[in-house]
Amino acid sequence: MHIGDFKETYSSDQAVFINATSRFWLGVLFAVLFLFPFVAGDYLLFMANLAGITIIGAVGLNILTGFTGLISLGHAAFIGVGGYTAAILSTRFDLPFLLCLPLSGLMAAFFGIIVGGPSLRLKGLYLCIATLAAQLILEFVFVHWESLTGGIRGMNISPPQIFGYVLDNDFKFYFVTLVMVILCVTFARNLFRTRVGRAFIAIRDRDISAELMGINLLQYKTYAFALSSFMAGISGCLWVNFLKTVTPEHFPLMESVRYLAMVIVGGMGSILGSILGAIFMTIVPELISTFLGFLVNIFPTAMSFLFPLQQVIFGLLIVIFLVFEPHGLAEIWRRIKNYFHLWPFEH
Amino acid sequence: MKKRIVSTLVLVLSLLLCMGVSFAGEVIKVGAGQPITGRFAFAGKHIHQGLMDSLDYANEQGGVGGMNFKYIYEDTGYDLKRAIASFKKIMAQDNPVMMYGESTGVGKAMAPEINSRYHVVYGSTSFSEELADRQKNPYTFVSGPTYAQQFGVLLKYIAGQPKKNNKPHRVAFFYSDTEFGRDPIPFARKLAKELGIEVVAEEVTKVGAVDITSQLLDLKRNKPDYCIFQGYVVPPIPEVIRGAKDFGLDIKFMGTFWAMTKMLLDKLGPDGEGYMGVSPYSYWYMDEVPMIQAMHAYSKKHHPDVAYRPSSYMQGWFTGMIYVKLAKLCHEAGLPITGENLKNMIPKVQNWDTGGLNGVVSFANSNATATGKVYKAQGGKFVAVSDWIKLDE
Repeated sequence: MHIGDFKETYSSDQAVFINATSRFWLGVLFAVLFLFPFVAGDYLLFMANLAGITIIGAVGLNILTGFTGLISLGHAAFIGVGGYTAAILSTRFDLPFLLCLPLSGLMAAFFGIIVGGPSLRLKGLYLCIATLAAQLILEFVFVHWESLTGGIRGMNISPPQIFGYVLDNDFKFYFVTLVMVILCVTFARNLFRTRVGRAFIAIRDRDISAELMGINLLQYKTYAFALSSFMAGISGCLWVNFLKTVTPEHFPLMESVRYLAMVIVGGMGSILGSILGAIFMTIVPELISTFLGFLVNIFPTAMSFLFPLQQVIFGLLIVIFLVFEPHGLAEIWRRIKNYFHLWPFEH
Repeated sequence: MKKRIVSTLVLVLSLLLCMGVSFAGEVIKVGAGQPITGRFAFAGKHIHQGLMDSLDYANEQGGVGGMNFKYIYEDTGYDLKRAIASFKKIMAQDNPVMMYGESTGVGKAMAPEINSRYHVVYGSTSFSEELADRQKNPYTFVSGPTYAQQFGVLLKYIAGQPKKNNKPHRVAFFYSDTEFGRDPIPFARKLAKELGIEVVAEEVTKVGAVDITSQLLDLKRNKPDYCIFQGYVVPPIPEVIRGAKDFGLDIKFMGTFWAMTKMLLDKLGPDGEGYMGVSPYSYWYMDEVPMIQAMHAYSKKHHPDVAYRPSSYMQGWFTGMIYVKLAKLCHEAGLPITGENLKNMIPKVQNWDTGGLNGVVSFANSNATATGKVYKAQGGKFVAVSDWIKLDE
């Protein structure tokens, strides 16, 4: 049971880790995350890398959509900009991975700022359509600027190196992904303890009031686009270096929709929500497919009926989660935690 | 008494374990990530069935050197991430010596790791040139001719036809703006030039485009004798053929593998009469072909209610035949069946009689067969109008 949690100062109210218990469990989590690759096989490591890269992208989108209230359907394209920047810089200019990483983020942020420009005039669905246009234009550029992007065939890159150490398998790459996830999540979590982060939330809640409070809407909306795209760029750079290949097919419109779904399922305006949403959207389809694969082994004749069920089950799960908890997985997690905080006294 | 039971148990268990080991040694594992659902499912489920049946058929024929094939598969839903995940999952769990993948994209994404780590022979649904490039990707092969080679077969066929008024043949390329559509075009341009064929128009559309008026007007202006489609499965081929008919254009329309299906002919109806194209395989209704006869017999035994198998089934079946052939070559050479040895056998597939399914083929200069036949639609079925055309001869 968790009692005696009095907050006597503003800083204690704003603390990320409110007490020793949460610090302890965070330590346990880090230990598990660090030890995980030593016990996991190739497949699990691939899934972990995939989930990690997706988390960075989802946290980025949550900054824009969940915290600032600007819906974007162009997130996959920004990830693509990051990915292509990384591929071009490492193949054409032989830049090291550690330099490619921030540069990919900056390039994506630059495009984010351009696309975010109209956001001062456009809101809601209108902005959504504007970002959709960005997605389509960027996809077109990936395909048709052949001399730069390699066109439809895309580009292959060699495994990234850090100080001469070649990251040529999922095990080694895991640590890079882990560090980047920790950095991005820490940054995002702390962002909302600063003036900038609070301004984002104010804009989301009511932009006119925010402006009356002295928040420059254009400036802060641009910040939101830049930060969100920066993380998308980082995610794209990791994705390309992880797969060692990039083609326009990696960043379709559906991928943008998937990211939006992650943010909604996980919990809008919650960093933990982005993490849970990304993990949910990456891992759950695999779990369902493993389960159905197991069933197919038992009933081989039902294959044509069982495999298509995958999408149906996944869709249903999303609907059920949202019906029972519209605030997403993060809220479910919070309720579970609260239950144990008060256990064994429910009220 | 108790001691006896324990010792009997130990004996039985150790016997079982030994048997397990010997069983394990007698299986050649083939892993596959198949697009059984998703937007490629229309072909994926048949490819999957074809590959599974082909390996089972080989087992019924006695396997390879007493060893049977074991087919391990997962559904990938035509999704790159899921496909890579199932590749890694199957490799980690079962460690097969041969793999099958769902698309060009997956092949390209996995190629570096196949070359450096996994060392498995890799076949796929793709006919991409890159995956048949032996220098770059020695482990990957294409189950037939690449798209470029299919274009080559068609252009070679056209070059052999009588010319109108002694002028060079006029050809148009009509392709989708995708990798699938663009893959063979640079090669086709070059080959057309070499064969003295004039490429008078290139029409590019999106996949499934419906408004093709401007392309039709362009065809009308340039008056090609032949128009070759690439990168489509059905739309907009029927619209183009009907539109050309309405304009009164005298063009022979042709397609490559994915546009040479019964599905397309059914959609075309009477307009499909005379539609031509190249396919690496024979069709289900060609009863005189020995391998098709074998398929019919197998199907009668295991799937008695099946009336027709599409060309994607043939692709799966033929891929199975290649796996079996490679394993046989390994076995004949007295080598253990490993990915590495199987890879070394790919160039050794020379003048291989495929029982009429794909002619007599060789993996000569690339990991693709470079062989195809030109067919023409007559009464809703494809009829051969050429013999097997080999591109590297």
